[in-house]
Amino acid sequence: MENSKISVRDLNFYYGKFHALKNINLEIERNKVTAFIGPSGCGKSTLLRTFNRMFELYPEQRATGEILLDGKNTLQADQDVSLLRAKVGMVFQKPTPFPMSIYDNIAFGIKLFENLSRSDMDDRVEWALRQAALWGEVKDKLAQSGSGLSGGQQQRLCIARGIAIKPEVLLLDEPCSALDPISTAKIEELISELKDSYTVVIVTHSMQQAARCSDYTAYMYLGDLMEFGTTKDVFFKPQRRETEDYITGRFG
Amino acid sequence: MDKHISTQFDSELRGVSSRVLEMGGLVEAQIRLAIEALALMSADIALKVIAAEETVNHFEVEIDRELSSIIARRQPTARDLRLLMAISRVTANLERVGDEAERMARMVQSINKAGATLRLPSGDLRIASDLAAKQLRKALNAFARLDATDCVSILREDDLIDQEFNGFVRRLITYMMEDPRTISASLDLLFIAKAIERIGDHAKNIAESVIYIVKGADVRHTSMADIETAVQ
Amino acid sequence: MTLPTQSALLKYKKRKWINRLALTLSLAAMVFGLVWLVWILWEIVHLGLGGLSATVFTQMTPAPNEDGGLANALYGSGLMVVLATFVGTPVGIFAGIYLAEFGEKTWLGSVTRFVNDILLSAPSIVIGLFIYSLVVVKLKNFSAFAGVLALALIVIPVVIRTTENMLRLVPNALREAAYALGTPQWKVVLTVTLRAAKSGVVTGVLLAVARISGETAPLLFTALSNQFWSSSLMQPMASLPVTIFKFAMSPYQNWQQLAWAGVFVITVFVLALNILARWITRAK
Repeated sequence: MENSKISVRDLNFYYGKFHALKNINLEIERNKVTAFIGPSGCGKSTLLRTFNRMFELYPEQRATGEILLDGKNTLQADQDVSLLRAKVGMVFQKPTPFPMSIYDNIAFGIKLFENLSRSDMDDRVEWALRQAALWGEVKDKLAQSGSGLSGGQQQRLCIARGIAIKPEVLLLDEPCSALDPISTAKIEELISELKDSYTVVIVTHSMQQAARCSDYTAYMYLGDLMEFGTTKDVFFKPQRRETEDYITGRFG
Repeated sequence: MDKHISTQFDSELRGVSSRVLEMGGLVEAQIRLAIEALALMSADIALKVIAAEETVNHFEVEIDRELSSIIARRQPTARDLRLLMAISRVTANLERVGDEAERMARMVQSINKAGATLRLPSGDLRIASDLAAKQLRKALNAFARLDATDCVSILREDDLIDQEFNGFVRRLITYMMEDPRTISASLDLLFIAKAIERIGDHAKNIAESVIYIVKGADVRHTSMADIETAVQ
Repeated sequence: MTLPTQSALLKYKKRKWINRLALTLSLAAMVFGLVWLVWILWEIVHLGLGGLSATVFTQMTPAPNEDGGLANALYGSGLMVVLATFVGTPVGIFAGIYLAEFGEKTWLGSVTRFVNDILLSAPSIVIGLFIYSLVVVKLKNFSAFAGVLALALIVIPVVIRTTENMLRLVPNALREAAYALGTPQWKVVLTVTLRAAKSGVVTGVLLAVARISGETAPLLFTALSNQFWSSSLMQPMASLPVTIFKFAMSPYQNWQQLAWAGVFVITVFVLALNILARWITRAK
């Protein structure tokens, strides 16, 4: 694909001896939302976490193959992991505000890579919170602890925190599964705005969410990539029987 | 077809599909009666056809309501979605077939009232009407089995009905020219012929809907060659 | 609903009786334990308060049958406890960080944990004797310096254990969130994980302080005691527990009185530390 932001080539992933991802080949298009769907244990979160090498925190997990970010292989040993994670941000299933003020939460990541003056930092914090549609709700309590916010607000705080360092790719690992329907809807709205500036990859166990939010959908099953196509095609006329069975809720 | 994890969903889909087939059966009976009324020029049989119309309309409304309910609650995708979209079209087509049968019956009544003779070439319509009824039966069978193999032949044979219709029109014109007093009755007969031709068209539409469900291809307004490729 | 049968009712009655019996026995056991506790506290207050006056805090330990106070003992205890805390806490916290964040599966981590558990339950007199042979014998005199070392050796295992436990309680999701921003490991540990475990770690330190405030045995062999005021670390120094030990076992009235006053002071101090620790970890 011409417009690939991330190209996955022959990716295999192992948890110790367990072969979790089998020969994955995939293209993630720039400035679009790609969703990974599939039943529990199919490897969708595992695949997502290879994009920012999160698996390296755990010694028994390893990956072989190539993951090209703008043409450069990120799995190579000479790729600096911190710099990679500055370009490829991640938001997790459970909102995890740091034990510090809202302002410091956002500034935390920025301080790692940039030396901003106080007023520049203020501007950037405001910008990030506006992008995450949270500014209006917290602008008067930036000094308060992040844990004082509601679940949906905390998750948006985590999104703002990830955006603040201006990554190119945003990885969302079931970002709404711990949230109520209204917070979920707000975040889905946010996702569609974010794709103008970022490439978004989202793992979700809700098919309806994938159908609503994404441009491309990948269906995975037991470590294999079963089907990958535009969301319109996958949900109207999937190519494989297995995909259709999963989407329509049939398990023969 | 494999079952849904939700057996409720399965039984809802089966339920609405069988309502469609029930409606189809009713409409087929209407056509049979209409053809008989035409053959015997019987006003009594024509009345029976008209009486069934109300039930057919009820079916359409009820099935549409059921469809909306399923779509709202189940968010169907892929095959299920196509099935429900197609059922909506099939029901609309069946309702219009019912209308055509009713029209045929009303024309028979009109001819009868005018005291028309059996010298009218109404027998000529027998072939076309039987063919149209058979098309509808084939299309409904294809829907019941969700099998697209017969649909191509249905689509092809619709041309035959059109040819029959054109031929009949020519014969009717000759007949009218011979005896201008028969023009009024002949026009009624022409309407009947047109109704039969339209029944064939509706059967064709139902066949197209079945292809849509099974293959996911919308073959309306495409050439026969494209249709054959789609059904492969 | 159908009415219960006769046998079902009987079973229910039997269960009710067993329930009442168990409840009564538990209550009795609790009262038994509480009785002794209340009695001890009552004796401490009753005997200690009697000997408490301003002079206890201002005058030094007297000779038998003379007037005096516990000033030098209080100062000695205070100094040695503070110094021991300052020495032991950083060692304990950093070791705890290593065990929780870096040494989860390494052989060094397992060995350290094992040794730490032994040290934790080692009798404090053993620690006192260890420092005696290592420091007191070498330097050829008892000193507050040795006392500080002995107390520090008691602080360290406690702080290591609580720090490691509190850090382990921090959910992994928080660490991953920090890593996902590109944070290097040392920064994740210090600015995110440790900060999240802050109140637990501080509580651990406070509890260690409470523990060493009352330790007598290690000081017996290291700091010994001093009749007079001493602020030199290389000389023997008085401490509250040792002074209480000496005075309480003596036949002199005024010394016994002062001993009880000392007991009262220590008890109040430990109680205050425990309350502070609870207040810090209160659910916010």
